[in-house]
Amino acid sequence: MLLNHKNILAAVLLASLFATPSCKKEDSDVAPSISSIAVTNADFSTLEGAAIQGGVAGVLSNPNPGDPSGDYTVFAPNNAAFSRLGLNSDSDLSVLNDAFLTNTLLYHVSNGNLAGSSIVNGGTSGSALGPIRRFIKKGNDLYINGSKILATNVMAENGTVHVVDKVLLATGVDIVQSALALSGAKVFNTPELSFLVEAVLYADLAGALTAAAGSPSFTVFAPTDAAFRQLGIDLGVALDVPADIRKLPKETVAAVLLNHVIADGGKFTPEMNSGAIKPLGGVDLTFGDFNNGTITIKGKGNSVPANMVIPDVLTVNGIVHVIDRVLLP
Amino acid sequence: MQKKCISSVVALLALPLFAVAQSPISGFMNGKGHGAVALSYSSESYDKVLLVPNDAQGVPIFNKVNVYSKSLYASYGISNKFDAVLGLPYIKTEGHASDVVLNELGYENVRSGVQDVSVFVKYNPYNCKVGKSDLRFIIGAGVKTPMGKYKVDEGLQSILAIGNRATTFNGVGIAQLRTPSGIFFTTQAGYSVRNGDVPNALFGEIKAGYAAKRFYADFWYAGQVSDGGVNILGEGFTGFFPATDVSYNRLGMSIYVPIVRGFGISVGGSKYINGRNIGSSTGYTAGLAYNF
Repeated sequence: MLLNHKNILAAVLLASLFATPSCKKEDSDVAPSISSIAVTNADFSTLEGAAIQGGVAGVLSNPNPGDPSGDYTVFAPNNAAFSRLGLNSDSDLSVLNDAFLTNTLLYHVSNGNLAGSSIVNGGTSGSALGPIRRFIKKGNDLYINGSKILATNVMAENGTVHVVDKVLLATGVDIVQSALALSGAKVFNTPELSFLVEAVLYADLAGALTAAAGSPSFTVFAPTDAAFRQLGIDLGVALDVPADIRKLPKETVAAVLLNHVIADGGKFTPEMNSGAIKPLGGVDLTFGDFNNGTITIKGKGNSVPANMVIPDVLTVNGIVHVIDRVLLP
Repeated sequence: MQKKCISSVVALLALPLFAVAQSPISGFMNGKGHGAVALSYSSESYDKVLLVPNDAQGVPIFNKVNVYSKSLYASYGISNKFDAVLGLPYIKTEGHASDVVLNELGYENVRSGVQDVSVFVKYNPYNCKVGKSDLRFIIGAGVKTPMGKYKVDEGLQSILAIGNRATTFNGVGIAQLRTPSGIFFTTQAGYSVRNGDVPNALFGEIKAGYAAKRFYADFWYAGQVSDGGVNILGEGFTGFFPATDVSYNRLGMSIYVPIVRGFGISVGGSKYINGRNIGSSTGYTAGLAYNF
């Protein structure tokens, strides 16, 4: 009996001797999920914050229930991509409307695996949000909408990640509704494009920029509220609030606005070339060189060109580029 | 007598002095009628999370987490071969998220409360001589169950949860070799059965130390392997952290010095060296013990 007792206790001793050193599990046999890639890569720290705030971190940890492969494809904006929008950390994301943020993230996601080799010039890809994305080749670089694809085929347990240098933006509504969403604080929590919306309504151009069956698509340059305020200073007219636009002659406002619209079907920045182009207003605009995903635009009446603040926003009837200066004919 | 008292205190030193315990009980016995009571304070912090397959630098949302605990421990020798030990920690976890992020997500930077009470018994059925050394075998069993009303189901807020709200039933086997010089070696292995979605776990520890009348010191290497569970941000992860596969290995040390009239002080430190689904914390502890 004692011997048996000893044997049992000896077995406990041996078990404990061997148990502790074997406590390490190997990690190398597990592929990271898409969320894990975002959380564990320092260059995706803002995307991590966005995925948490936008409520998609859990979704992208798991297999895609909406696709037989169980996979997603994600075009992942790096930190520099978010910084272009002034979003330098997860704290800065609080300026964004939550629903807009979630929709924006979904625009970066599609079902199944889209391999890097399938991304070719002229191709398109649907998104989890709905609106398509366009693939464009410029020089040796591939773009999705206006975002340069920096790296392809980062393989995850539940899909594929491609890294991009700009956040993809799609509103899912037309140009007028997109501007109204911005002015109604449904994109940023503080209103933007409020002067532009007021000007479009004042100049009776809302109908022309509203999507309808068979209606054309445009490239639109949308000046910020700060751009309109600066215009007021330049003209010596106080443009302190959007309604002040109505101090200006209606025809003048219409002519200036039409100088911001090009009836070309809607172009992303990689599809634009430097040189002169005629807007609906009839007075040539001059595009600068394509540089790091943006171009400058100069109206004939401008002494300095406008810069793109938020380029490449897809709407259902065109592409909107938010700029920092009103383009004067 | 003094030797007995030292044993009572070192019997406590392996109790869960940190928020995640290295091992519930030690290889020392109190002796009949002897025991110890200890109050300890520990502080741990981490800004790296051990995940699978890659670790995360910076704790999501909270950037860095501090874990502070104040714990009460008691150990008593019911007979020379039978001890009872009790532990009750109060834990406070503190994140470092910005106010902007907290407001946006509706989260808070602090969670605190009484965690889990643990009651263990250990039995020393057999001792023998190995040369001039003593070889002691101990078996132990215990229950650990939540005392406080802390929450674990607050989504990513529960990164700061102070426990996993599981009731656990634990069995452990211990072998200890004590040499005449005071140097000792202890090894133990156990299994923890946990209720709810919390995976069961195998745990083990090896320890080497020196125990004498006026001084005690040890170094330990301990680990836990979860028997199942999901990985954070991996397949099956729903944001419910108690269901995760928490496995790790830690290194640590403890020192105890008797001061006067049965009172003594202990200090210790520990560090995670690998693991998964847990913060890579480094911690320190200090305690005041009274033994009788």
